[in-house]
Amino acid sequence: MRLVLEQRGETGLALRMASPLLAVALALASAAVMFAALGADPLVALHAYFLLPLSDSWGLQEVAVKATPLVLISVGLAFCYRAGVWNIGAEGQFLVGALAGAWLAIATHGAAQGPWLLPAMLAAGALGGSAFALIPALLRTRFGASEILTSLMLVYVAELLLDWLVRGPWRDPAGFNMPQTVTFSPAATLPLLAEGGRLNLGTPIALLVVIVAAFVATRTLKGFEIRLLGEAPRAARFAGVDAKRLTWGVFALSGALAGLAGILEVSGTLRQLQPGLSPGYGFTAIIVAFLGRLNPVGCLVAGILLAVTFIGGENAQIMLRLPLDATRVIQGLLLFYVLACDTLLLYRVRLLRSVPA
Amino acid sequence: MTLIEAILLTVITASTPLLIAAIGELIAERAGVLNLGVEGMMIMGAAAGIAAAITTGSSAAGVAAAILAGMALAAIFGLLVLGLATNQVAAGLALAIFGLGLSGVLGAPFVGVPRAGIGKIEVPFLSDIPFLGPLLFRQDPFVYASFALVAGVAWFLGRTRAGLVLRACGENAAAAHALGYKVLRIRFLALLFGGACAGLAGAYLSLVLTPFWTSGMTSGRGWIALAIVVFASWMSWRAVAGAYLFGGVTILQLHAQGAGVPIPPQAMAALPYLVTILALVLIMQARGGGSTAPAGLGTPFVPDR
Amino acid sequence: MTITRRTLGLGTAALAGAAALPGALQAQAPLNVGFILIGPVGDFGWSTMHDVGRRRMLEVLGNRVTATQVESVAPPDFDRVANQLARTGSRLIFTTSFSYFQPTMRVAPTLPNVMFENATGTSTLPNLSIYNARFYEGRYVQGVIAARKSRSKTIGYIASFPVPEVIHAINTVMRGAWSVDPQMRIRVVWVSAWFNPAREADAARALIDQGCDVICQHTDSPAPLQLANERGVFGFGQASDMTRFAPRAHLTSSVNNWGDYYAERARAVLEGTWRPGDVWGGLNSGMFRLAPFTNMTPEETAEAERIRDAIAAGTLHPFDGPILRQDGTEVIPAGQRLTDDQIRAQNYFYRGIDVAMP
Repeated sequence: MRLVLEQRGETGLALRMASPLLAVALALASAAVMFAALGADPLVALHAYFLLPLSDSWGLQEVAVKATPLVLISVGLAFCYRAGVWNIGAEGQFLVGALAGAWLAIATHGAAQGPWLLPAMLAAGALGGSAFALIPALLRTRFGASEILTSLMLVYVAELLLDWLVRGPWRDPAGFNMPQTVTFSPAATLPLLAEGGRLNLGTPIALLVVIVAAFVATRTLKGFEIRLLGEAPRAARFAGVDAKRLTWGVFALSGALAGLAGILEVSGTLRQLQPGLSPGYGFTAIIVAFLGRLNPVGCLVAGILLAVTFIGGENAQIMLRLPLDATRVIQGLLLFYVLACDTLLLYRVRLLRSVPA
Repeated sequence: MTLIEAILLTVITASTPLLIAAIGELIAERAGVLNLGVEGMMIMGAAAGIAAAITTGSSAAGVAAAILAGMALAAIFGLLVLGLATNQVAAGLALAIFGLGLSGVLGAPFVGVPRAGIGKIEVPFLSDIPFLGPLLFRQDPFVYASFALVAGVAWFLGRTRAGLVLRACGENAAAAHALGYKVLRIRFLALLFGGACAGLAGAYLSLVLTPFWTSGMTSGRGWIALAIVVFASWMSWRAVAGAYLFGGVTILQLHAQGAGVPIPPQAMAALPYLVTILALVLIMQARGGGSTAPAGLGTPFVPDR
Repeated sequence: MTITRRTLGLGTAALAGAAALPGALQAQAPLNVGFILIGPVGDFGWSTMHDVGRRRMLEVLGNRVTATQVESVAPPDFDRVANQLARTGSRLIFTTSFSYFQPTMRVAPTLPNVMFENATGTSTLPNLSIYNARFYEGRYVQGVIAARKSRSKTIGYIASFPVPEVIHAINTVMRGAWSVDPQMRIRVVWVSAWFNPAREADAARALIDQGCDVICQHTDSPAPLQLANERGVFGFGQASDMTRFAPRAHLTSSVNNWGDYYAERARAVLEGTWRPGDVWGGLNSGMFRLAPFTNMTPEETAEAERIRDAIAAGTLHPFDGPILRQDGTEVIPAGQRLTDDQIRAQNYFYRGIDVAMP
C-alpha cells in the first residue's frame, strides 16, 4: 500500500478555509492526548493554549507585539526565497539592525534629543540590517560562496558582536559593569498605542509593510522578476533580468526589514541592549515565511498563528504547570499538521494497493 | 605526549560529531532532500542514547537507540516532505523544534544522572606508529566510525551504481523517475541514513564527549553540520576538511586564550565562523565560482504515475 | 470576555486547591508564587537550582503555597510573562536572572500588589527586593584547596562571560591560592556561554594540556569535572553537588540553595511582613554551601574546613587590603576592606594575575 498524490485542478474557497482549520483540529487532538498523558485537563489546557491569548485586549495586544517582528522579518524573507536566494541569517540582521538603531539612542543619551531621533533610529536599524545582509550577497555574487553557509555563520558573529559591545564599549557606566546599555530615554522609545498593554508603533509599521509588500509582489515588474528568477532562472536571464542585482536587492530588502524589526523590538519593548535580546525571531520567521506560502498577507496570518502558540505555551506553563518542552512538541506537531494539510490544497491524497509506478 | 599531539587529539574529538552528522546530511541532500532538522535529530539521538544506556546498562544499546531515534525523526520528516510533498525548509525547521521539545520531555528523568563514558580502543600495531598512531588509532569507536563513514560514503557515491542512482535523484528527479527508479523510496532511504548519522552524532555527545544528559546539550552543533555540507560542496572528503577546520579553529582559540593571547573572548569565539566563511570564499575563488549544489535540492517531487 | 477569564480563574484555583489540600476548609487561600527562569529547568545548573529551590519552598510551606514556573523566558518576553503570572494570581514573583533586572524595574511599579524578587539585581523598589549569594566566599576556599593540590602550581579557570561576578570570582580564587603559595598562577579560558557542555569540556582539555592540574569552572555543566576525572587532575563542581560525576577528581562543589530563602520570603508575604530588601547572603546564610570535601587528606580537609568556617564566622574576609590592580595601582591600602559596592564593581584583575583583562 502506498500514498499517492494527485494534483487538483483548482482549489475551492471551502478547501482553503478547511485546510488550516483541519490542521489546528488535528494539533488540538494530539495536544489533548499529550496534555492528558502529562496529567493536565485537556480542555483547560487547550483553552489556555489557543483561546486565552485571544480572549481580551491585553492578550490581543501581546499577540500583536509578539507577531510584529515575525511578520516583518518573514515578509522580507519571502522575497528572498521567491527569488531562490537562501538568506537564513535574518537573526543576525535583526541583531545588527538593533545595534545600529540603538547606537543612535546611546550616543545621544543625556544630550539633546528630539522628535527626529526615533525616525533616525528606525532608518539606522534598517540600514544596519541591510548592510549586514549585503555581506552574504557580496560573497555570493562576487565569489560564488553559498549564502546558506555565510548568512548562517554571520548570525553567530552578530551575536558575539552584540555581546562584546554591551560588555565593553557600550556598557552602561552606572550599571555595575553588568552587560547592558543605558535604558533609552522616552524620546528613543516607541510610543504605546493603547491603554493597558504594550501595543506600540511597531505593529502599524509592520501592517504597512505587509500592504506595500503585497502590492510590490503582485503588481509590479520587480515582483514579477523576483518570481521569475526563482522559478525559471534561465528564462529570467533571457528576459533580461539582472540576477546579481536582484540578489543584492532581495538581500538588502530582507536585511532592512529584519533590521527594522530589531530596532522596533529594542526601542519598543526592551528599551536597552543586552545579550539574548532575540528569542530566535530570525529563525522562527523562516517558518513563518513558508507557512505563509511566501506571500506577504500569508506571512501576516502565519506570524499571528506562531505568536499565539508562543504565548499559549507560556500560558500552558503558567496555568497547567506543563514544561516548556511539552509546548515545543505541540508547536512542532502543529507545524507538521499545517504543512501536511497544505498538501490537501494542492493534491488529492489516495491510498493505493501496491501498483508498479 | 606533546602539546601539538594533545591539541590534535582534542580537535579530532571536537570535530567528530560535526563530521558524522554532516556525512549523513550530505547523503540526504545528494538525494535531493534538504533536511534542516539535523539539530532536532541529533539531540533526540543524544537523549535516547543516554536514556537507553542508563536503563539497560549497555552502551551498545544506547548507540542503537540513538540511531533509531534519529531515524524515527527522519521518517516523520520523510513522510511529510516525500509522502505529502510539503515544503522541506519549513518541515525541517519544525523538526528541529519538535526534536528539541521531545528530547526534553523524554530526557527529563535522566537529567544529571552520571555515567562512565565509552572508552578508547587501541588498534594493535598501528597505534604504535609515532605521532599518527596515538592520534588516529587510539580513539573511541565513534572516531573510527566517522572514518569508515567518510570512506564508505565516498566509495558509495563515486564508485557504485546505487550511488549514481541516488545522485540522479538529487540532480533530476523527473529523469530518474522516467528511467524507472523509485525516486521517493530512494530519497526516503537517504533521509533515514541522514537521521541515523545525526542520532549517532548525538550519542557521541551524550555517551562519550560529555557523558550525561541535559536539555539543549547539542548547543547548535546540528546547524554547524548543515553548514559543513555546504562548505564541502556536497563532497564527502571535503566534509572532513570542513569539520576539522571548524573543530580545529574552535580548539585553537581555546588554547590561545589559555596561553594568554590578549584578544577579546568574543572575537576568539567568532573565529571558527569567520575562518569557515573565509575558507569557503577562497575555495570558490580558486575554482571560479558556480553552484555545486545538487540541482534538485529542496524541490519536492511528485511522480505523476 | 470577563466571564471566560473568571471561570477559568476558578478552574485553575480549583485545580491548584485540589492538588494542595484534601479538605475543603482552608484558613487562607494558598499564596501563588511565580518563578521566571532564564534557562531550561533541565540545564543542570543555574535554572535547575532555582527549580530545586522552588520545590524546597513547597516542601517547607506545604499547602500554604502553590508555585508556577515559566522557563527559558527571553528578556523581551519578560513583561508579558510577569503580567500573565500576576493576572493568574501570583502575588510573589521571583525573577531569577540579572537579564530580568531592568524589565523587573519596569514592570514592578505597574503591578503594585505583586511583590517581586530579582536575583542579582542592583537596586530595590517598594515592591522589589534583590537577592544574591556571596559565591566568592566559596571561591576563596577553592583557591586554598587548589594551591594545596596543584603540583604544576597552575589553576585552570573555565570562565563564561566577563561579568563582575566572574571577574571577582577569579580574583578571590587567586587570593585564596596565594594565601597558601604566592607562586600560584592561573590560566583563563572564556567559553562565551554559561552552558555548552562539549565546549566546556574542550576548554578543560586545553587548560589541562597547557599544564593546569586543578580546574575551576564558572559554567554550569559537569563536563569539565568529568574530563578532569578522566585526565587525572582535580576540579570543583558548580551549582549542585557534582561528586558523583567525578569520584576521583572532585574536591568540593559550590551548591546553590535558594529554597530556604524562597520559603522565608513566601512566608513573609503570607504573614504580611514582606518588606523590600537587599540580601547578599554568604556561607553563613545557607544560600549556598560547599559540598563535602573529597579526595583530600585529613589535613587538607581540616584546613579547608577551618578557612570555610572562618569566612562564615566573619573572622576571615577575602577582600582585606592591601589590594592592587594588575597595573600596580592601589585599590585599598592595608587595614581597609572592600565595601560591597566595591566588590561588585571589580572590573580589573589583581596584581599577580598575568592574564589580560578581556
